[in-house]
Amino acid sequence: MKIQFTDLHFSYPSGDEALKGISLDFSGTEPVALIGQNGSGKTTFAKHFNGILRPTSGTLLIDGEDIHSKTTAEWSARIGYVFQNPQDQLFLETVKKELEFGPKKIKMAQERIDENVRYAAQLCQMDDKLSVHPFDLSPTQRKFCTIASIIAMDPEVILLDEPTGGQDYDGNRLLEDIIKDLHKKGKLIITISHDMDFVIRNFERVIVLCDGKVIIDADTRTAFSKVEELASTFIEPPPVTRIGQALGFDETVIDIQQFFTCFDKRKKGTI
Amino acid sequence: MDTKKIVIDVKDFSFSYLMSDGEMQKKAVENINFQVCKGEFFCIIGANESGKSTLCNALVGLIPHFFQGDMDGEITVLGEDTRKSTVADLTSKIGLVFQDPFNQLTYTTTSVAEELAFGLGNIGVPREEMYRRVNDVAKTMRIDHLLQKNPLELSGGQVQRVALGSVFVMNPQIIVLDECTAQLDPLGSKEIFDVVKVLNERGITVVMADNDMERVAEYSDHVLVLHNNKQVTWGETREVFTNLDFSSLNLNPPVYVSISKKYINQGLWKKEVAIKEKEIINISREILER
Amino acid sequence: MARKSVSSYINIDSPIDRLHPMTKIVAVLSFGIIGFAAPMALAPYVVLLGLIVISYLAKLSNKFIHYVIPFGIPLLVMLLIIHGLFSAKNVTTLYDFGFAKLGLEGTLYAVKQVGSVLVFLGAFFLLTATTHPGKLVTAFVDSGMNPKLGYLLLATFQIFPQMQMRLSTIREAQVARGLEVEGNLLKRASAFLPLIGPLVMSSLMSVQERGMTLETRGFGSSNTKITSYIEVQDTAGQKTARKWLVIATIVVVIGSIVYRFI
Repeated sequence: MKIQFTDLHFSYPSGDEALKGISLDFSGTEPVALIGQNGSGKTTFAKHFNGILRPTSGTLLIDGEDIHSKTTAEWSARIGYVFQNPQDQLFLETVKKELEFGPKKIKMAQERIDENVRYAAQLCQMDDKLSVHPFDLSPTQRKFCTIASIIAMDPEVILLDEPTGGQDYDGNRLLEDIIKDLHKKGKLIITISHDMDFVIRNFERVIVLCDGKVIIDADTRTAFSKVEELASTFIEPPPVTRIGQALGFDETVIDIQQFFTCFDKRKKGTI
Repeated sequence: MDTKKIVIDVKDFSFSYLMSDGEMQKKAVENINFQVCKGEFFCIIGANESGKSTLCNALVGLIPHFFQGDMDGEITVLGEDTRKSTVADLTSKIGLVFQDPFNQLTYTTTSVAEELAFGLGNIGVPREEMYRRVNDVAKTMRIDHLLQKNPLELSGGQVQRVALGSVFVMNPQIIVLDECTAQLDPLGSKEIFDVVKVLNERGITVVMADNDMERVAEYSDHVLVLHNNKQVTWGETREVFTNLDFSSLNLNPPVYVSISKKYINQGLWKKEVAIKEKEIINISREILER
Repeated sequence: MARKSVSSYINIDSPIDRLHPMTKIVAVLSFGIIGFAAPMALAPYVVLLGLIVISYLAKLSNKFIHYVIPFGIPLLVMLLIIHGLFSAKNVTTLYDFGFAKLGLEGTLYAVKQVGSVLVFLGAFFLLTATTHPGKLVTAFVDSGMNPKLGYLLLATFQIFPQMQMRLSTIREAQVARGLEVEGNLLKRASAFLPLIGPLVMSSLMSVQERGMTLETRGFGSSNTKITSYIEVQDTAGQKTARKWLVIATIVVVIGSIVYRFI
């Protein structure tokens, strides 16, 4: 799938311009992280992919097709969006019904529904909770329930809005597994996240938004080496990267292993 | 430790929630024992569902007064048994801030100033004093530019500082924060830690449940570690972090600790582990410059 | 983020805005009752004229007229047809349409009724548009209302705009799951549950935390004297004005009763 944004602008009815000319291309399946501070426009931007919000000016083409040619409900069969707050979408009496809701709405054949729901439930560790009322899940499980409900629709692209919020170690690991598995199945995953460690471990491309504009669009390592641009938008690289930078390593260190490779190199160099 | 004044004393505390169907849930926390002294920055860490919130709710008296269930043991806050006191009366001594900022608004006010004043009104503080305290707190929380704004128009991080301000304005001696940064962006989260640090430096005892291990290491002086609803250990942060097997508790070790432990294993470093960014940078420099 | 204004209150400083809420409430009631009780058909319109002057003082005359006229015209036409053409009281004919006669008595009655409704509507609009909800409730509590009841009243002022905001997010979230919310009636009807369901469920979920918030803000405090951040200022002039409004209302009501019996 090829998604092309050209000079996208978006203003809210109140007149506030949230996106100020975004031109980006998405093709292939390398996982993409969208980062930026509150109010940088990242959620507003992400809501354009399947037309939840429509551009005020500029164009968005999906495989050459204009976003305006279909309703969001129609686009949702190809491009899924998981909202940040599970409470904004859960309303059915069992997890299973929640997972079947989307696929049914897009008129998926019953056998495919069964198959996709089974896959999504297993991937999100919901398979032993299918008959549970979403109300009785813990807040983090509820999040995985909403992620599964979009995966079950089997879209080609999935956007995740802040899935790491409130997650602990186990939750983060599960998210990583989900992203890896979907990537393997050829899905394009685009994630909004505040957790820089998580971004570094799982994403190959990082897009940084600031005040409605793209200020960085690069591979992860390059993105985190741009200390000044990041600082201008109040994003701190993860601690290990900062330590490497403070020690003056010539590479941008993104994990402990790499830290020690650089550290050993430096140490041998000085001996 | 003996010379310091104990402000929170938890003895053999256990609790199970009463479910809506009348059944008792399995124990949310079991046999918890620890003490917090005046002026400490005390953190509670542990995976989700390990009992952090239950403990926080118990410290401010919401357990057993608001949540029903089976409580064992005893919690003493500033010399008072929480079971014998009411939440409203404890509020003047110990305040609580929790995760979802928007659930901590009263939904009865149209400006941040009124929101901050709500609690003061309930305890009958005269208007002149109310104005003064609201303005003071707004400055400390760095929300003085937002006083006339409607709270519903603010960002999560700003609302969380309003929530913290609404608690701080009551002049508590202790503030409990239950994962109040979990839903915030990094800047919002850092601002919370920074203002909490300011409060702590002014002598307020801070009890904070949080899962950001680097921040916990950086800011706290004592930690309590929970796992599967039980207490693993508690004590000074450096001491606890030196010996803790993080991954078996489903926690991410702070990167400062991981790096310094590796230095120690390789024989490059012989002193204590680093728990702050500055320390690990200095240690690394020292090793590299040898 | 684009957020809607949170109540019907319009924050413009004006002499009317600064009035004590009680003065405005008394005025709304007096105007309404006077317009309704006075026997002359044009009486409500005299009061309405007064309201226009007040709306001008409140810097809201434009909004006021745009609020009252769209209500007034259709209502007048409807009542004119019902009463002007078909009222049993009609004796004097004003105009003969052939198929029906427009009667004077019915016409006057319709004009009077519409005027009375408009006075109530208009006065109430001015009250809510110029009165900060917090001040209104503080005024109630100051004059003896239970503060808990006051809290409930304020919460209702805030709850609807907040629900509207939530509802638009829920709508976006469900549309992204393939739910069609536009189109024919059937489609829209079937979208009702997925939109309302999350609102109800999440309200239930947040009830506990909101209860905790109130509890930890000392809401259940045993202290009896509750103070408020908002100050409502009353003046001797306003107190006198309220007295005279009440007296005028009573005079008009008694006068109209006497008039009808004579």
